[in-house]
Amino acid sequence: MLEAIREKVLRGERLGFEDGLALFNEPDVLAVGQLANQVREARHGDRTYFNRNLRIEVTNVCVASCLFCSFAKLEEHMPGAHTMTLEQAWKKFEEARAAGVAPTEVHIVNGLHPGLPFSYYEDLLRGFKRIDPTVHLKCFTAVEIHFFAQHYGMTHREVLERLRAAGLDSLPGGGAEIFDEDVRRRISPDKATASEYLEVHRIAHQMGMRSNVTMLYGHIETFAHRVDHLLRVRELQDETKGFQAFIPLAFHPDGNGMKKLPAPTAMDDLRTIAVSRLMLDNVDHIKAYWVSLTPDVAQIALRFGADDIDGTIVHETIYKAAGSRSPDGLSYDELVRLIREAGRTPVERDTLYNVVREHPKARAPEAAMKVRDRKRALEVVS
Amino acid sequence: MSSATEKPDARASAVSSGDRPLRVLGVEYLNARPLWESLRDDPRVDLRLLPPSEVARALSEDEGDVGLLPVAAAATIGELRLLRNMAIGARGKIRSVAIVSERPIHELDSIALDLSSRTSVVLARLLLARRKLSPRLFGAPPEEAIAAVSGRTGALIIGDRALDVEGRFPHRLDLAEDWLDWTGLPFVFAAWFARPDAVSREEEDLFRVAKQKGLARADAIAAEHAARSGLPEESLRSYLTESVRYDLGDEELAGLQRFWTEAARAGLLPAASPSFEEPRVARTRPSLDSILSRAADGERLSVSEGVRLLREGSLFELGLAADAVRRRKHPHGVVTYIIDRNVNYTNVCTTSCRFCAFYRPVGHPEGYVLSREELGRKLQEVKDAGGVQILLQGGLNPNLRIGWYEDLFRWIKSEYGLGLHALSPEEIIHLARLEELSVWRVLERLHAAGLDSVPGGGAEILVDRVRRKIAKAKCTSAEWLGVMRIAHHMGLRSSATMMYGTVDTPEDRILHLVKIRDLQDETGGFTAFFCWDYQHENGTHIAPGDNGTHLYLRMQAVARLMLDNVDHVGASWVTQGPAVGQVALRFGADDFGSVMFEENVVSSAGTTFRINAEAIEQRIHGAGFKAARRNVRYEWLTEPSAGSGAS
Repeated sequence: MLEAIREKVLRGERLGFEDGLALFNEPDVLAVGQLANQVREARHGDRTYFNRNLRIEVTNVCVASCLFCSFAKLEEHMPGAHTMTLEQAWKKFEEARAAGVAPTEVHIVNGLHPGLPFSYYEDLLRGFKRIDPTVHLKCFTAVEIHFFAQHYGMTHREVLERLRAAGLDSLPGGGAEIFDEDVRRRISPDKATASEYLEVHRIAHQMGMRSNVTMLYGHIETFAHRVDHLLRVRELQDETKGFQAFIPLAFHPDGNGMKKLPAPTAMDDLRTIAVSRLMLDNVDHIKAYWVSLTPDVAQIALRFGADDIDGTIVHETIYKAAGSRSPDGLSYDELVRLIREAGRTPVERDTLYNVVREHPKARAPEAAMKVRDRKRALEVVS
Repeated sequence: MSSATEKPDARASAVSSGDRPLRVLGVEYLNARPLWESLRDDPRVDLRLLPPSEVARALSEDEGDVGLLPVAAAATIGELRLLRNMAIGARGKIRSVAIVSERPIHELDSIALDLSSRTSVVLARLLLARRKLSPRLFGAPPEEAIAAVSGRTGALIIGDRALDVEGRFPHRLDLAEDWLDWTGLPFVFAAWFARPDAVSREEEDLFRVAKQKGLARADAIAAEHAARSGLPEESLRSYLTESVRYDLGDEELAGLQRFWTEAARAGLLPAASPSFEEPRVARTRPSLDSILSRAADGERLSVSEGVRLLREGSLFELGLAADAVRRRKHPHGVVTYIIDRNVNYTNVCTTSCRFCAFYRPVGHPEGYVLSREELGRKLQEVKDAGGVQILLQGGLNPNLRIGWYEDLFRWIKSEYGLGLHALSPEEIIHLARLEELSVWRVLERLHAAGLDSVPGGGAEILVDRVRRKIAKAKCTSAEWLGVMRIAHHMGLRSSATMMYGTVDTPEDRILHLVKIRDLQDETGGFTAFFCWDYQHENGTHIAPGDNGTHLYLRMQAVARLMLDNVDHVGASWVTQGPAVGQVALRFGADDFGSVMFEENVVSSAGTTFRINAEAIEQRIHGAGFKAARRNVRYEWLTEPSAGSGAS
């Protein structure tokens, strides 16, 4: 089976549902990885992208009760619930800028807060642009956009237009979870459906905005559900060409409604990256999101089909709440080192994949690694 | 900082500026003397005389530019340039390499081997295999080997001793004569081999002139040696002028090639071909692909081939080849793990290694020795968790005498019945010094008190240049290997380890692996190999060198490919984390190490992963394997369990 798939891939032929399933079930995971690596290298060579970004979660108050979530709090007065004032949010950005390498992107993902005025979000965006007019605002998942539309009585397009007027540049890919309706009903019954999620991205793309798309795997879904998910991404991409990157997100079980499930193992992480690369022939980038994978596994993923490792992040709370062992943020130099140790060429990009700075590749993997101060941040401590 | 400029073997600039004499490694033996004698007084040459095995070590560790190298060592190192028309060989009787016995060779059931010449040992194995004989072979010091000869036990004797015992035993198989009988070709024991780009054509002439002068003095050399050794002068003269042949013509070359081919076919040596060209440009240089596929097929690789794999092999190529070897050695798709506990009985240590954050000097307020109560509690926890052994290691604490260990071992055995995987070579040597006993005696007493196996810790990198920089007070490579040799001869098993990523180069790491492989050829006592990178953290004093998860996976895969005679390779999840540990199962590992309760040494350096047996099995299953618990000898204690299906 793998031989037939390999031939298809080398001929540039599109893979189908059965191919995807076979790749997930193939015992020789290295062979799957190697094939994905071939595709990745044909597209990008050794180039591996990262950026200077800042993650901010302004509120974790959320009306939805997704089983996989350890982050959200249902109401504002609950213990652990927090909502930033606008000033607090802007201060995060100013602090990150003052700390040295100024972020080129602010990436905001929030709970679905029922008690904030829409103007809060508009003002939030305007404030960031006031601090730095060139910063790229990649804010609000399609799930949030859909919630705004319902909650504030607007169409998706109206929400997106008003936010764009306030400074929104693109949409992050969060909230996709698993598109299959049955699985989605069970794990996140009270937020945007798969078609609503995809519709928001369709409209954003039609408006000329770019976005990313994700998949939350390793919980109750089957391999068939994953392949179905990938195919739905591919279908919309054929129509709009608006997705920049596909980002598989590993389910982390701590402190949420599915805490009895084991987390997917590294082998599954790598395989999912590889199959995504092979199935999504129309999406440019496959991202190994280090926050989800840990920097160590993300580094290996750079040989299993991934060409992007995300950015500096600075402060992430969603995976943290679910028991991720990854550090809060990685420094610019640590990202460069991670990529060079994998024998790849580090390329700093902006959100739209314009090259900011290309770093020299290490001459050989063996020669990449004379790094004098390896920071504690990289040693993942339980 | 390119890898090329770090390589120590480029002597080109030194040659042209003439600021360093050519470093020549000669062998003390009589038969080598004519080749190097006149070089002694040549100012262009810095001559060091060593035993043959030391010549091999020194040449591979770049302490010399050219050496009079036994041909087995030359194949093991690989990518050396052969100097033209000089060798030590024989067409027919050599007289100085023979199996002696009281009964005919086919009646022997064991043979003591003088291990000082690996080439002769390999030749002996080939000649025995040719006769379809398989006596038990065991290493012994030369005098003991001779003393062992009686009845059905023979001995392989080499050098002066072989000349000395001419006529003493009724049966004598001259190996060079037997080789001629088999192949119709002369046998070459040693020749001048040069490191790449180390010896120019002009310098090569020095050796030819030296040979002419030396052979002209053969009579005098024989007379001098007769005076030194007490052997008859006439016998030595005819040995030098008739038995030994110093030429390396077409026939000798064909003999050499035949030997290398037969030895490679038997899995005793890496495949090799003599080359008078600089190996890097030679047309016969194998491609990376061919090295990988030979390795995947289980053929033996040379040092230079290992270095090429480590430097140039891609992650997938190395992983797939290592996975193929793992599959062939362990076809049942089972990955093992052990439930044990690492107990560090004391942190007081006199060694002060620069990479260690665990130790405290003698008298330090944070120094400890675990009491029986504390130990008992830990051991009971191991028992309660279904554990089968403890890994007992500690600092070199001068207050703990051998009696303390003996009592402790007996107590552990009688009270808890746990396996004792205890005391790394460094601790054994420490005890031997403290008690003024031999290593053999210390091991014997500890063995009697209950020691089951010796952990392979403290190997770091078995290249002394590296050891001196990172662990000056620790034992030398030879001492570490020596303890393991003795332990194995006593019937104890041990693991082997490697800690890379300090000041070591890819060459150093491969040499480390080959030293383990060589000893394993001799004893077969290593059960498994584990490696990890240096864990840099607060309290340690050396900067990290090469590390990262990619290097770990590459390093482990290359180790699987190099260590063709070691059964098991373990993933070091304690240092790499369980995620990378799992991935490592597809890069040559067939063991997931242990469910650790604590590991003070590594955790002092910041790495503190801890997972339980269930989580280990989940990862083994997730990688597509069945999981089985094992004991220290890697015997399955549970029926291998398959995972519950998806991912």
